[in-house]
This record gives sequence, C-alpha cells and structure tokens, in this order.
Amino acid sequence: MKKSKNLRSKPREDRKNSPFEDRKRFCAFSQKNSPIIDYKDTKLLSRYISEKGKITPSRITNVSSKKQKELARAIKRARFLSLMSYTQKIF
Amino acid sequence: MNKFEAVILFNPDLSNLIVEKEEKNITDNIESSDGKIVSTENWGLRDLSYNINNYKKAFYKFYQIEVSGSDIENLKKIMTQNEKILRYMFIRVENHQELPTKMMINEEK
Repeated sequence: MKKSKNLRSKPREDRKNSPFEDRKRFCAFSQKNSPIIDYKDTKLLSRYISEKGKITPSRITNVSSKKQKELARAIKRARFLSLMSYTQKIF
Repeated sequence: MNKFEAVILFNPDLSNLIVEKEEKNITDNIESSDGKIVSTENWGLRDLSYNINNYKKAFYKFYQIEVSGSDIENLKKIMTQNEKILRYMFIRVENHQELPTKMMINEEK
C-alpha cells in the first residue's frame, strides 16, 4: 500500500520514462488550429502512409475515426492524380 | 449550381500554345452550360508518381468552378474523348478554398 502511494506522489517528470505511463493520446486533426485535410497537401498526407505506401491504421497514428475517413479519402484522391504513389518500391 | 474543384492532367508532349487552346476549349464548354469559372491555378509540368499511358510527366491545371451537377456528366464525357487529357477529377466542395492552394505553398518552401 505504501509503495503505490509513493508512486503516485512522484512528480510527472520522473514518470516520463516509464513505459507504463498513461500519456494522454489525442487526434492531431481534431484540435482547434489543426491542419485541414486536403488531397492537394501531399506533404501532410505523406506522414500518414507507411514505408511501402500503405495508409497507416488509426490505432497507430491516433487519428479519430471521423478524421481517418477523411484522410483515407484524401490519400486515395492524391493517388489517383499521381501526386502520391500506390506502392513504394524498396530495393 | 454547385461548387466543384477540378484537376486536369494534360499530355506533356503538347506545346504551350496547344495547352492554352485546350484550356480555352474547357472554359468554353463550362460557360456554354451556364457554368462559371471562379479561379484557376497552374501547377505546371510535374513528375508523375507512376506512369500513365507511358508518360512520366504531365501538365497540371487546377480549376474552381460553379456548375450544376448534371452538366458535370457532359463535361466528363468530352474529356474522356479528348486524347490530350491524360486524367481528370471533379470533386464537389462546400466552399471554395482561398488561393494559393497548399500545393503551391509547399512548393515555394
């Protein structure tokens, strides 16, 4: 009992390195001045595709389901216009 | 009347004069169906991420237009029959974005 109490009383900076620390996760597109998802903004979209060019799942990027749908649509539009590639070859 | 965004890819082998002529054709087609062109943007000759009809580059043109939805079908039909156009895309939007678009802003950096 005493131990657990001590853990909690530790300042936040000490807990930072712990892998079990419950950091608050948030969606990068749902904030007040977050960027607008747009198929023309390939620089932004390229952060949400994997090395092979696949769309990364929202459980990894923490994008909300509503915004993930928008993002997927934007990436697919950019792919159609050949602004982004469907596959990335790795040699 | 609805607001649309259009992106059109032209054949890279065309000379500037023919591209301008084609653009004029498109504007005429839109205006003849009671449409209105709000603004255009030239993205220039860009590298494609993958080959389309064995072409590695294309002229990109971006349009913000206002036409009724039924006329879009007609425009699409004309564009598919045009060999000078590699690809096109129409997207309905609620509001037109302010120019320049993100594409040009990123390029300047």
